Amino acid sequence: MDLNPNTAQLQSLCAQILDLVEADEAEVSIHDATDLHLRHANNDLTSNSLTSRRLLSLSVSYGLRSASISFQETDPASLREAVTKAQTMAKLAPENPEHMPPVRPAQFADPLAYSETTAAAGPEDALRWVRPVIEAARAAGLESAGYLQKSLATHTLANSSGLFVSQPQSSVGFSMTARTRDGGSGWASTQVTDAAKLDLTPVGERAIRKAQDSRNPTERAPGRTTVLLEPAAVRDLISPLIWSLDRRDFDEGRSFLNALVENGKDPIGHDLFGSANLISDPLFAPAPCFTHSGGEPLTRTEWIKDGVLQHLVTGRFWAKAKGLASQPMPGNFLIPGDGLSTEELIGKIKDGVLVTRLWYLRMVRPESLLYTGLTRDGTFAIRDGEIAGPVKNFRFNESPANVLKQLVASGTPERVLGSESDIPAHVPPLVVDGFHLSSVSDAS
Amino acid sequence: MNRRHWLRATSAAGIALLTSRWGIAEDRALALSELFPGLADAALDRAKALGASFADVHFMQTDEESIFVRETMVQGIDAQSSAGCSVRVLVDGCWGFAASAVINREEILRLTEQAAILAKGQTGWRLRRLEIETLPAHTGKWEMPLEIDPFTISLEDKTADLLTITQTALGKGANFCDAHLFQVRERKWLANSFGTRVQQSRVRLQPAFSVTVLDPKKGGFASRASLLPPRAAGYEHMQNWDAAAESALAVEQARQKLTAPSVTPGKLDLVIAPSNLWLTIHETVGHPTELDRALGYEANFAGTSFCTPDKLDRLRYGSELVTIMGDRTAPGGLASVAWDDDGTATAGKEFPIIERGIFRNFQMALGQAALIGRKESNGCAYADSFDSFPIQRMPNISLQPGPDPAATAASLISGVEDGIYIEGNGSWSIDQQRYNFQFTGQVFHRIRNGKLDGMLRDVAYQGNSVDFWNACDGLGGAATYELGGAFNCGKGQPGQIAAVSHGAVPARFRKINVLNTANESGQKTACFPTHSRDCCCGEARTSWT
Repeated sequence: MDLNPNTAQLQSLCAQILDLVEADEAEVSIHDATDLHLRHANNDLTSNSLTSRRLLSLSVSYGLRSASISFQETDPASLREAVTKAQTMAKLAPENPEHMPPVRPAQFADPLAYSETTAAAGPEDALRWVRPVIEAARAAGLESAGYLQKSLATHTLANSSGLFVSQPQSSVGFSMTARTRDGGSGWASTQVTDAAKLDLTPVGERAIRKAQDSRNPTERAPGRTTVLLEPAAVRDLISPLIWSLDRRDFDEGRSFLNALVENGKDPIGHDLFGSANLISDPLFAPAPCFTHSGGEPLTRTEWIKDGVLQHLVTGRFWAKAKGLASQPMPGNFLIPGDGLSTEELIGKIKDGVLVTRLWYLRMVRPESLLYTGLTRDGTFAIRDGEIAGPVKNFRFNESPANVLKQLVASGTPERVLGSESDIPAHVPPLVVDGFHLSSVSDAS
Repeated sequence: MNRRHWLRATSAAGIALLTSRWGIAEDRALALSELFPGLADAALDRAKALGASFADVHFMQTDEESIFVRETMVQGIDAQSSAGCSVRVLVDGCWGFAASAVINREEILRLTEQAAILAKGQTGWRLRRLEIETLPAHTGKWEMPLEIDPFTISLEDKTADLLTITQTALGKGANFCDAHLFQVRERKWLANSFGTRVQQSRVRLQPAFSVTVLDPKKGGFASRASLLPPRAAGYEHMQNWDAAAESALAVEQARQKLTAPSVTPGKLDLVIAPSNLWLTIHETVGHPTELDRALGYEANFAGTSFCTPDKLDRLRYGSELVTIMGDRTAPGGLASVAWDDDGTATAGKEFPIIERGIFRNFQMALGQAALIGRKESNGCAYADSFDSFPIQRMPNISLQPGPDPAATAASLISGVEDGIYIEGNGSWSIDQQRYNFQFTGQVFHRIRNGKLDGMLRDVAYQGNSVDFWNACDGLGGAATYELGGAFNCGKGQPGQIAAVSHGAVPARFRKINVLNTANESGQKTACFPTHSRDCCCGEARTSWT
């Protein structure tokens, strides 16, 4: 098994599988991935690994009956077994009235999400990147814990309608938490497509500075407060909003959008999100992604423009049933900013809280898209346009829809990691009024 | 399509083929068993030659099947198989690990070399050498006892069972109902340089459903998810469940939620059923007492813990009533195995985490016990995939029954003047040091003057882990003990998922902070907690506990 195949080899493998299929329709996907992980804690590396894997998936259909299997081996006997298994399962499956035929071939933009430099980097490079950051934490007298992941993946899709698309992706992500011995904690992260642009030094410095600044926090009363959400917090709050912009959920009456528009009205075209803008663009160079989703082309899409909802994710079946164009789930998301620095945003806040990062976000109430979660690793009071000192962390109960609606200012976007999803995101810090801090947490 | 139509649509020959298709997995397991001794010896020899003071070799094969049904449609039938091998080495007090889906002599020797490169790359700039204890060598084979192997049940029977659930719900007036069945067989082979050579396999099953009812007059909706937990069990777990009856009850309860009064927030007494309490145990006791977390290994992601080693034998974690045990041997327990992924035998390793309210022990993996003055690991290492580094993961962690064998949920409720009886797990969240939690549930019954008095909605309870367990003043007896659990406990970077069970009895807690989630939303109108894409049923997109 070659885990780093070229496009011709992948095309040949897909053709080999599809040729074996006797069912009416078939779709093959192949996911090849090689990863390098360096993990550290207490200023020493802990668990480090090099891994490689391949997963093939085959879906076959007889009319409206279909089934899928996933497997690894690609020798002729294994491929025959896989096809036989999938076909046997599909023949026995009940008809699914919502079954859709494979997508038709389409033109896909060449993705920007791959870098040869990243592909060529090995474990020695990764150790060289991480070592100075750990040593800086040691020198500062702090405990650091962090994680570097170098990922290479190729995703290939082919079907019996003649579609074939194979796209590579690479990234290096790094995050670090620095902790003082008296309760200070700071976190920072970065993610790049091209390892040549990787610079971990400012990430480490930022985490260390936040840890030092967040020692001995005071307790601030919870309540509805103006918050400055740094980019990591923004991406974790906004991802669930994107997953919830779903046409079928709305049409069936079980979306948070149903409560925002009059019965019988369509949410598209309504001013529901203040002055916010939310975009996806697979070819946005600072945070690119694949240029298709399940064989449907992904293109630049303005989901929310000046607060007005423009699109909803619409699956192929639902689009056909309702006479709409399908709209696949985006592969990344972007929020344009006003270009202000974090310091300039702080300067605009009379009384508020700066939030570095969020944690353990979970849906509480889908009808209002209420999420709960906590702040962590750098929470500071802002008074009269300046940082007034560290405060204890908070639990929040808030809807990401309200976050966009109550957005009053934004800064300069950047690509950061989050704690809840891997979707590439390029977002600015946001100033949000009336954010509901529900209670104080003793966690530091 | 109902069961009768489904049966008509299938042929006996087809069914035979289908039930035997997992025979391929059996053949693969046999082949791996034959390959393992030679490849393991080769890798361990190479590791030694490369300077490893310790090394282990893992093979893992995972076979999964999932079926997803929505209303009257079977929307997904999927089978997955994966297998691979890994080599872990300890060289000069540093770990290195490499894994691959390719299993042959050349590849495993390549992995050994790569693992050594990673370990040696730390030489010269490491602060502390990792030291590990010597574990006893074990040899053997263990297969989890099963009544009915779910991989031998035909797809037609499984699909028909799921369609019975959804059709019952629709017949009772649900607007939407989905149901799914997820089954996993996990096979592992382990050899290490202490001389251990073991092989084991286990099976787990997760059947679940969710119903949703719309409010045609006022708008809005309410949902209710099933309460049956996943289990390390065969298909008997599905067959012993009266799923149709629960489906009908769920529709009725979802409908009641639409008109139930919204809770008045404040300090209320709670009686919590095992179907909700298992998740509270998981978050407020399970995660805080992971030793790697307490030592800072998880500081960058899962977090640290309020429960630090200096609190051993000193912290009053709960009231005198509260004893919580860790084990990897409970029948049906999702974390139950014969050996952990470091090669520690689990039999006889059961341990108290909280004993009569006092914090007694952490969960540990290889190389951690000495850091808190203990002799050896208590068997809590696990790797969720062939390419995952074994880390400390949760064993089954269970609240033990109270002293009164006759105590039940009803008797606990009789001691509450004004409170809530909570069933089923809903939303969950807790801070990175495990102090501040917030949970919802599936069904909230108002308690007035010792009796249930209708349903409430918009309920969440919030508090501090230690305060919460110290507020416990009543527990059900042994007859009320139930095993809850989840497939999807998350931890580590890269993230790993583990299945874990938590036994519990109904328990009563005094003066717990209850929130109104509608108020928290800033909306006073009726809305309802529902089974969401984040919940523990296995439909999760990002979900981990």
